[in-house]
Amino acid sequence: MFLALRELRAARGRFALMGAVVALIAALVGVVSGFTAGLGDDTVSALRALPADRIAFSAHAGTDFARSGVDPATAAGMAAAPGVRATPLGVTITRGTTRRGVPVDVAAFGVDPAGFLAPRGLTGDGVVVSRGLADDGVRVGDTLVIDRIGLRVPVVGVAGRAAYGHVPAAYVSLDTWEKIRASSGPREYSAVALKTGDRADVAALDRRFGTRTVARDAAFAAAPGYSGERITMNSILVFLYLIAPLVVGAFFAVWTVQRTPELALLRALGAARRRLLGHTMLQAALVVVGASAVGGALAAAVGAALGSAVPFSLPPGTLLGTVAAVSVAGLAGSALTLRRVTSPDPLTMLGANR
Amino acid sequence: MTVRTTADLALESVTVVHGTGAARTTVLDSLDLSFSPGRLTALVGPSGSGKSTLLAVAGALLRPASGRVLLGGEDVVPLSDARRACVRRERIGYMFQSGNLLPGLTALDQVLAIGHLNGRRVSGLRDAAAAALESVGLAHRAGHRPEQLSGGERQRVALARALVLEPAVLLVDEPTAAVDRSQAAGLAALLGDAVRGRGRTAVVATHDPAVVEAADEVVDMAALAGGQRPRP
Repeated sequence: MFLALRELRAARGRFALMGAVVALIAALVGVVSGFTAGLGDDTVSALRALPADRIAFSAHAGTDFARSGVDPATAAGMAAAPGVRATPLGVTITRGTTRRGVPVDVAAFGVDPAGFLAPRGLTGDGVVVSRGLADDGVRVGDTLVIDRIGLRVPVVGVAGRAAYGHVPAAYVSLDTWEKIRASSGPREYSAVALKTGDRADVAALDRRFGTRTVARDAAFAAAPGYSGERITMNSILVFLYLIAPLVVGAFFAVWTVQRTPELALLRALGAARRRLLGHTMLQAALVVVGASAVGGALAAAVGAALGSAVPFSLPPGTLLGTVAAVSVAGLAGSALTLRRVTSPDPLTMLGANR
Repeated sequence: MTVRTTADLALESVTVVHGTGAARTTVLDSLDLSFSPGRLTALVGPSGSGKSTLLAVAGALLRPASGRVLLGGEDVVPLSDARRACVRRERIGYMFQSGNLLPGLTALDQVLAIGHLNGRRVSGLRDAAAAALESVGLAHRAGHRPEQLSGGERQRVALARALVLEPAVLLVDEPTAAVDRSQAAGLAALLGDAVRGRGRTAVVATHDPAVVEAADEVVDMAALAGGQRPRP
């Protein structure tokens, strides 16, 4: 450690520059991760919050709530199946206006007020709004007006933060949801939410009712914009994770070439290869891990500064994972240069070779 | 030829060949040579006569084509690279013509570095390192980095580093090549002091008359190639 630290101190300018680059990459990874998670939450958190493990769609609709239609008989039949608890679910995005005249977008989730999907306090003619709508100024006791049909719905409660397709969720009864949906056809729900036990035969249910039942998380893909956002953000992350080791590797390659004479001297003085490798990896670890931690802190600061202005979510676990992943990527890059560390010829220290 | 048989460092029938084919050159040819403890031996001769090659072979830096290199009675030629590195750091002190010092490290840290390479606790070596610097007259420069030292001072730091762990053998390559006359004489005197009365075997390759003057024995590499013995 002695030599590694002395070298770091002697070349602190170069290592600080390298550290700054790694810190910025880590910060960028952290910020992009925060936006990825935030956008994801903003798209599917209402689905993730549903206390169900499966969703049954009509067979032709894939996992698209807008295209799916399940009749009441199917919902009742599923609820009667052994090992299954089932309740209808309606999902519709609409627009409304608060009592103070503020326009809001609303993802209306129609649920049975007595069923397992209903949030606390939901009544037959009221609405429980999620935290996002509360942030927009909707209060308990207000009346939310659904613009398209002029329906006035009293706000009876506020639930946790939940959104669907970047629109804050609001929970209403199935009857209210039917009015909001304003369909002229026979009564239909978007899907059926299921809680399945060991005895549940989901495939048999699908065959019997002509439905397509998927795990709850599989329904996320059909949420508006979800797949496209994930692909875009994850592509950026992949490139950042490719860039990080290349940048660190290039720095350590140049650093190793620059100190080839010193490495030859140390080899001539009898330094073991293992010690030189350890010495180099220690320097890399100190710079890369330290800089990644600084970058992580920067990303967290960015998240704190953004507040709720944009969808951003970087919980401590994700932040630590980001710092660890950038550290590993950077160390992998520095490891690419290790062969050069032990290759200088100690014989070059003698005679005219100098 | 065999000069002595009780030495710490001896070369037996050592042959070193450089190059291949038409460029093949025999630099050392079945050389037998031994060096006495407590004496400073100067290797002299024109460039290309094999002085540095002999140091490289004696210092376990270069494996000869044939022959034995005995260090304290142990042949170091067949040892693995890792073992030869261990021999270098534990039993031999080196001082090179140039490039001896690590950039950015103070004189004291340069001396401590050799302890670190040997797995010694640096904190336990500080007094010895300070004493080594004092022995070469550089106690007052302990906190200075290489770029703040003159050529002669850098060589003296290298000498302090070579001696701090009390190695059995000291190998020195052209120590005065990059220093002025006045500093060369002082460096030669320090080399003599580092050897005499300490039971250390020291070999120095040099062109410098001041160093030759300070040596106890002189080996003329050109003459050695012609079969002559070292002259006292």
